Amino acid sequence: MSSQNFEVIVVGSGPGGYVAAIRAAQLGFKTAIIEREALGGVCLNVGCIPSKAMISASHFLHRAQHDAPEMGFEISGPIKVNMKKLLSWKDSVVAKMSGGVGQLLKGNNVTIIKGEARFKTDKEITVTSKEGTKTFSAQKFILATGSRPVEIPGFTFDEKNILSSTGALALDAVPKKLVVIGGGYIGLEISSYLAKLGAEVTVVEFNSSLLAGVVDAECSQVVSRRLKKNGITVLLNAKATQQKRTSNGIEVTIDVEGKVQTLTCDKLLVTVGRRPNSDQANLKEIGLNIDERGFIKTNSQRQTNIPHIYAIGDLVGQPMLAHKASHEGVMVAEILKGMNRVFDAKTIPAVVFTDPEIASAGMTEEEAQAKGHKNLLISKFPFGANGRAVSMMETEGFVKIIATADTHIVLGVHIVGPEASNLISEAALAIEMAARLEDLALTIHPHPTLGETMMEAAEATLGHAIHIIQKPLTKNTKSTGGVHP
Amino acid sequence: MSIEVKLPEIGEGVTEGELVRWLVKVGDLVKADQSIVEVMTDKATVEVPTPTAGTVKALKAKEGDVIKVEQVLVELEAAGAPAGASVHPTPSSAKSNAHTPTAPTANGRTTATVAPPPSANLASAGLSSVNTTRQETKTLLPPADLHVLATPATRRLAREMNVDINQLKGSGLAGRVTREDILQNQTHAAPTTTSATTSSINIPRQAYQGPVGAVEERIPLRGIRKKIAENLQMAKQIIPHFTLMDEANVSQLVQLRESLKGLAEKEGTKITYLPFVMKALIASIRHFPQFNASIDDASQEIVYKKYFNIGFAADTPNGLVVPVIKNADQKTIVEISKEIIDLSKRAREGKLKPEEMKGATITITNIGSVGGTYATPIINHPEVAILGMYKIQDKVILENDDFKVIKAMNFTITADHRLIDGAVAANFLKVFFQRIEQPGVLMADMI
Repeated sequence: MSSQNFEVIVVGSGPGGYVAAIRAAQLGFKTAIIEREALGGVCLNVGCIPSKAMISASHFLHRAQHDAPEMGFEISGPIKVNMKKLLSWKDSVVAKMSGGVGQLLKGNNVTIIKGEARFKTDKEITVTSKEGTKTFSAQKFILATGSRPVEIPGFTFDEKNILSSTGALALDAVPKKLVVIGGGYIGLEISSYLAKLGAEVTVVEFNSSLLAGVVDAECSQVVSRRLKKNGITVLLNAKATQQKRTSNGIEVTIDVEGKVQTLTCDKLLVTVGRRPNSDQANLKEIGLNIDERGFIKTNSQRQTNIPHIYAIGDLVGQPMLAHKASHEGVMVAEILKGMNRVFDAKTIPAVVFTDPEIASAGMTEEEAQAKGHKNLLISKFPFGANGRAVSMMETEGFVKIIATADTHIVLGVHIVGPEASNLISEAALAIEMAARLEDLALTIHPHPTLGETMMEAAEATLGHAIHIIQKPLTKNTKSTGGVHP
Repeated sequence: MSIEVKLPEIGEGVTEGELVRWLVKVGDLVKADQSIVEVMTDKATVEVPTPTAGTVKALKAKEGDVIKVEQVLVELEAAGAPAGASVHPTPSSAKSNAHTPTAPTANGRTTATVAPPPSANLASAGLSSVNTTRQETKTLLPPADLHVLATPATRRLAREMNVDINQLKGSGLAGRVTREDILQNQTHAAPTTTSATTSSINIPRQAYQGPVGAVEERIPLRGIRKKIAENLQMAKQIIPHFTLMDEANVSQLVQLRESLKGLAEKEGTKITYLPFVMKALIASIRHFPQFNASIDDASQEIVYKKYFNIGFAADTPNGLVVPVIKNADQKTIVEISKEIIDLSKRAREGKLKPEEMKGATITITNIGSVGGTYATPIINHPEVAILGMYKIQDKVILENDDFKVIKAMNFTITADHRLIDGAVAANFLKVFFQRIEQPGVLMADMI
């Protein structure tokens, strides 16, 4: 049986893989991409995109229920949630995005191969689908096979009662009682929207705070308060030890700082993290170096120990974020073309679509201090003092900026509040450009927008924001237009 | 099935080279690793091998062309190769040990191919892997540290120009590394620069416009000439030079050399005055270590060198080069003579390896072998002194109320005034003259 030859084969069509394939094709490589499920991978099909659809929809409902009356809308009777219809709307969003990926790949002459990939040697790969098994070979491979939810012993996913994020996104009825094990960003996003749709939600978190170590502590406090207000119970320092089916539903045993308690629910969601898919596709058997956490070891060019095989995205390390994978995908395709590239981004911004949203770029205060920045300027500007936020009735949260005291270089920006996810890109640009507080403060931001909070936070960090009362200007901060080194 | 062979990275910071000579022609059958072309860069002339075997289908450049790194050199017709493949001439891992940068090739010449880094050999046993991109065979500059203040575009520019941005001191606000910092570093990344500060010195680029209608010819300033221009301009800009001149009575030395001629012939070599001057110079700088030093402008430190690598200026058809006799203090006059002859010959042929022109601690210029009584040489930065020797002439002097004919030779010592005071230079020259005028004193210096 003859095998088909390519210059580049990309394995996995998530936000890392499809982007890599398109750039490889743009650069003139004869490129193929292999996908076992739907084009777009986890992100488009069972991750970022569908969860955002559900979050938008539930937030819409929430505002109709809570904010609309205050604005003067009289809605008679409760708003009925047609979960099946909501689900099919969500699926239409996914279909649109996944179809778009297919069109882009075809438009760039990337050969799409459907099926389960398995390396035969480090140069040949077999793809098994309903139509049988075919062999393909390539000069270069880009591995982008992503990650999957971590399963904990005793809580095996059946996706009917014990759910991973994938199962949760496919629920066609709102659970009455939901227990969520794991208060990370995935657990909190799903908890938030299911609670808004009417579920009674309890989050069980092993650490002493939500989103532990991932986001700024003050930001997660704002979200914790809102979760409570929205009726979500959060158990901290808590561990789910076992579960059993009873006639009332699922009984989950929880150990909270030594005290054992039992929760009953009809659905159990386990979101304790994701693990790289490095144990599949024969990756280990062809000799790839894999670390103890399952990440494929690569150099700064994302080249593995087998020189013609590269790996990107969730497979190669934290943070497991789609935009990091895409950035790596473009980079690796260009490296294959001989361009001199390494991964040297200063910041990989992160966004959590809780209510309100959390977004961050750059370092937290602790990280900045750990990096040797002893003297920091840190200040916040609240959304409550921003005209647009008030007019949107979304005033919870703030923009916090961390900068060096001597040079005013922006080190980190942490936002919790409305549209934090859309505001953070300005901060990411500022950090990549090594902008100073003055650069942000002196850039005219249009009024009235949420974006003004970034300018005001920069001013606040310099000690003289207009729309909050700060202490009188000191000599040191009087002139900020460039007197500092 | 055709393969394009491209010009690989041929040295740190080298982005282009002049095609000197084709070593193959269309129709030739070439083996993998066979040298196919000679390319002259601003640092050395190198032979570029092809990584794969095949028949030469087309030469993609002419002799005299300037070839950029990554530019296609030849098209090969190879059996079994994938269509449209492009390869970079780097030694295959199987043969890499035959191509360390200093290994002489069969024809006695040397190639300066880039040795593959360990990563090329990382492929697990039993799985042979094809090495075709240059990333796999050249040193990868590290990513920019978090503390480096530079925009993403500037970071990329640095990488593409092979400048390690972590080593640069940014000239911009709050220490930002600017686009200009990168471009300047690229221009001045000469083998003689030791620190980031010295290499980011700004050389103004003045336009020259001749009179209308004047007959003039314009030739691109490149290769060795460009490097000479940059190095000397930098040296003049950084170092406050001063020169001290004196005449030595070298009658005894002339006699000594005459008497050693027979010995030298037996050894199959010729002895010039240069090795003697070198020995006298080494003995003198042992007394005056500040002449065998460098100033590290970046760290504001004086570096005293405990080794004696003596550079000597050599005139070649392509311009001035400075080959180096390494550890000259540990070599005999005959050994130094042989080395001078070998290095000079290869310098004229443009076959010196880059490392043979690096690492001098002090330099001797022998312009006197051509003519002139005195010159004011320029110090070979980062060295701090250069000794000039001039032609030997018969001279009549008055000694004890008597006229006497002697062999006279002029010397100059040019020093970096930041480190060496005028009086020190005068005392240095005195100590040097004791030895060059009475070679017997050199016996007392022997270790």
